[in-house]
Amino acid sequence: MYKLRSGPVSVNHNKRKENTKIALIGWGLPSMEAMQRVNRDFIVVSLPEFEPYAKKHEIPFIAWDFGKEPTYEEVYERSAKLHDRLREMNVDHAVPIFEETVEWAGALNTRFREEPGLFDHAILFRDKAMMKRRAHMGGLNVGVFEEAGNREDVRRFFKRINQAQLRRHQKEADPVHVKAFNKAGASGHRMIMSEEDIDKKLSDSHFPSLVESHLPGLEISCEAFVHNGKVQFLNVTEYIVFGYSMMVPPTKRVEKLRPQIREEVQKVVDAFNIEYGVIHPEFFIADDQKLYFGEVAYRLPGGHIFDLMKKTYGFDPYQAHLLCCDPNTTKEELEGLFPDETKANGHAGSFLVYPKKNFISKVNVPQELEDHDYFEKHTLFKPAVNKIDSNQEGYGNHLGTVFFYGEDDETVKQLLQDYVDHDFFQ
Amino acid sequence: MGTKAEKSKEKQFEEALEMMEAAFPYAKEMYQADALQAAARVMDEEDGMQTLYKYADRFEEAGLFLNGPWAEPSKLLPHLVQGSLRAGGMTPIVEILSDVRMLALAKGDHKREEMSAEEAKRFLHEVMALNIDTLFPEETEAARIEGNEKEKKRAERLFQFLANELSLEAASGALVREIDDLVAQRPIMVNRTVKMIEDAKQLLDSGIDSKEKKAIELYARAISHPTELSRDHGFKEYKETLRKLGNKDLKQEAEMFAKSMRDTGLVSGHHTILIRYLNRKKPEVLPTALGLNAKGKANLEEHFSIVNKLINVAIHPALKQTVYGLACMLERGVLSSAPVIPGLNRLIELDLQPDVRKVLLSSINGNEGITANDILVAGTICVLGQPLGVGQGMNPTCQTARGISLWSLHAPGYLLELIPRAARDGDVDVMFEGQMIHSKELRKGLVEDLHEELDPVSLVLVPHLDKIYGELVRLVKFRGEDVHKWVNPAFYGDWVSNGFSSAIDPMTGSVADYTGFVRLFYSTHHPDYNEGYELIYPNPVGIFITTPTGDLLGLHAVSIQRIAKDKNGEYRVYFYNPNNDGAQDWGQGIEPTVSGNKEIPGESSLPFHEFTARLYAFHYNPYEQGDAFAVDDETVRDIEQVAKESWGKTYTWVEI
Repeated sequence: MYKLRSGPVSVNHNKRKENTKIALIGWGLPSMEAMQRVNRDFIVVSLPEFEPYAKKHEIPFIAWDFGKEPTYEEVYERSAKLHDRLREMNVDHAVPIFEETVEWAGALNTRFREEPGLFDHAILFRDKAMMKRRAHMGGLNVGVFEEAGNREDVRRFFKRINQAQLRRHQKEADPVHVKAFNKAGASGHRMIMSEEDIDKKLSDSHFPSLVESHLPGLEISCEAFVHNGKVQFLNVTEYIVFGYSMMVPPTKRVEKLRPQIREEVQKVVDAFNIEYGVIHPEFFIADDQKLYFGEVAYRLPGGHIFDLMKKTYGFDPYQAHLLCCDPNTTKEELEGLFPDETKANGHAGSFLVYPKKNFISKVNVPQELEDHDYFEKHTLFKPAVNKIDSNQEGYGNHLGTVFFYGEDDETVKQLLQDYVDHDFFQ
Repeated sequence: MGTKAEKSKEKQFEEALEMMEAAFPYAKEMYQADALQAAARVMDEEDGMQTLYKYADRFEEAGLFLNGPWAEPSKLLPHLVQGSLRAGGMTPIVEILSDVRMLALAKGDHKREEMSAEEAKRFLHEVMALNIDTLFPEETEAARIEGNEKEKKRAERLFQFLANELSLEAASGALVREIDDLVAQRPIMVNRTVKMIEDAKQLLDSGIDSKEKKAIELYARAISHPTELSRDHGFKEYKETLRKLGNKDLKQEAEMFAKSMRDTGLVSGHHTILIRYLNRKKPEVLPTALGLNAKGKANLEEHFSIVNKLINVAIHPALKQTVYGLACMLERGVLSSAPVIPGLNRLIELDLQPDVRKVLLSSINGNEGITANDILVAGTICVLGQPLGVGQGMNPTCQTARGISLWSLHAPGYLLELIPRAARDGDVDVMFEGQMIHSKELRKGLVEDLHEELDPVSLVLVPHLDKIYGELVRLVKFRGEDVHKWVNPAFYGDWVSNGFSSAIDPMTGSVADYTGFVRLFYSTHHPDYNEGYELIYPNPVGIFITTPTGDLLGLHAVSIQRIAKDKNGEYRVYFYNPNNDGAQDWGQGIEPTVSGNKEIPGESSLPFHEFTARLYAFHYNPYEQGDAFAVDDETVRDIEQVAKESWGKTYTWVEI
């Protein structure tokens, strides 16, 4: 399959044997359930602490300690043993469930198919700098970025960016963003507004990392279901308050741009040589409606996006994800699986609730929220332990979610903004 | 949103339930939020509870309680229901569904092996007894503002429903039993008792059993107006009326008050008016009004001048329980102990620290015309009269409460030294191995924020004693043996023996040589094996507190007061439990009683072997020891078995 030519080398994503099993790398109940619904044989590979639960419910399970932030070389090396065990159990394909298991799935698939490129392919999605470089070369609009090894690198980048923008004599500088190479969501992300911020917000533990220019505008994510290199279904999710709330499908303003978005997503699919599975790219929509590529994950999205899709489009995205991941899925199986992506039934939104205090004793959901016609449900319990570990990355672990659902896009959007400052716990 | 409105709330819930039933067992929890929210919407309808009840036998199987504390109904505790109902969020919704499920168990519409209909009924009766105020809600503005209106309405609907489906009678039985148990212990603080009596009064018109009705009426009269004369008059008029009474009527009035107080340990405000009146005009009737026995009468006579003064200072409607404390103090004869009278006199005019004054005054309502010194003297009288009535309140300070109780019993002079040190000097000091420890120099104790529903003496002393206790623990923490070995004798004083044994090896945290531990306790404490040495001073011991299913809850401090035969000739351990919650269910049939087995008010008791099976550490006098080998092998084995199957499950057992 290797040809001597310039440009990216494509990898062989085909073809699984018949009657083999799929390994889900990571613990995800909806995906297991979906597997069972589509009658696929599967095995779950996850942390040992899930083993008793798996045993109790007769879920095929291999306990595996992924280790604490192993390097990619370590992952590849250690995957040999896991591969042997899985192969013994007639597994020949791995699907990652979380960001941190993407490279494990890549390493396993490389071994299953004896195709060295597959592991590198997986790493593409884990290293934000490499990812942006590839997108850039693939013809997508990206911000300016560099890899930074220390605070001085960030300082130099910050100065050069502002110099290029002719902002040297302005009161306010243009911000830049420092991001960990390989973390999902808001964790490891620092916004640098001034030179002082570089010393205040960054420590040695943040490096090496990616530093990039600020992209203004609305942020969206896309969930593209790909089979045979073609986008079969495209969901667009609007980020209402970054890190807190999102809505599916987006407001009309964004929905109008669907054709352009689809075009950009197909570019991602081509640029990243995607054949099967779900990709989850993020874009910024600038004021001139131009789309800028933010990043892309090669896995199912977090933040309840699939649940919101289920609600508004009336199909099971978990099931669709697994069918798309499997090269052996037939045309017949795909037929009728996806609804019309332009015809959603209402708008669904999710709002993640984070602890605002270190000690909480009572849940406090405002009555007018619960009484609102668009309120659907929430998952807030009084926690068994009152003390919250305050030393967490990003916003910390969210303690529950509030779901809204209704006809009018702007009303749902408003609700998703209204409670950012409300403390849901007392 | 057409779809939501078209379908009935019940239909939506039914569908959500069916969704859960259809889900793979491991995936059920993903659907819980939907089902619970649908249930909550049903609860908001007028007959929502009836609607939910129709499905109650399906809740468990569907997985509504999966992976939560409600999964196992036999492990639920009635007194936790109220907290869950007020916790907000999804918690009260699951709690209500759990109680509806419990009702189905009680009525036989749902069955579970681990819980019989009878047990479910008992659970719900107790829950109802503890939530009478929700059953008869007050429509006050304050109550309205406090919580989420919707959640409150749901809880009220639940209890309405339970009351309709079960009898209020049985709930009132449970409530009266709770009050009986509290009253039997004669605590100094009676807020909880009074609150329960006020709650119980609401049941009087609901056609309950005449026996219970009588009991509730008796209690209600005891806290308000035990006599006809007091019922018809306010405090001021009552005093006027007393003046007009002839000797015979006055004596009769005094007898009735005394009887009510002696029966319940509760004092009515009018009783203080009577005592103050008699003190001034007819002191010869005082013994009758206090219901004193011969010893009490003799003490009153001997020390009349100080008693006269104490009544003036400390007996007021706002401090009414002091009447009972005074009566008990006279009968204990503590006034004859030399340092007590000057000690009490000193308190009357003691210069108090501003923060002490503040905390004392805030323990009563304002506008009573009472000084902080009055309150402190009243509190001291109560502690001296009711040493076993001292409680820790809502604070984790069992050790400190135990100290105050012990000193009141055996060292009232020392106690009367501690109080002015703390109240006037803001400091308490203790000598430990040649080193003086001052509480004012210490920053932190075990308790961060003292819950102030405490008797006045505890309010003054606990903050200091708690810090000292914490410091003592810190000083000996790394000695490689249980800290209490050194802390207890230093903290409580020389009344505590220096011999010490613990079931847990502090170095490894495992249970080592348990049988040896049991034998030592028998040979030092059981009259059949310890050569007849009697326990003279209370022995501060540690126990394992367990749930009704026998699971370990934590460690707790109590004092063994005495060991004696009960009416069946069986040896029992009589102990003081500072949490004033003596009648509890510790699982495996181990249920301490507070009355009915020759307990002195304030004591709890258990058969000797049952107490041993929950014992964690004790002190003993090495010179007063019998033969450990003489203890029956079978007894030791049985105790070990009971221990292993309860709290012992949490520990590693090592045989030596």
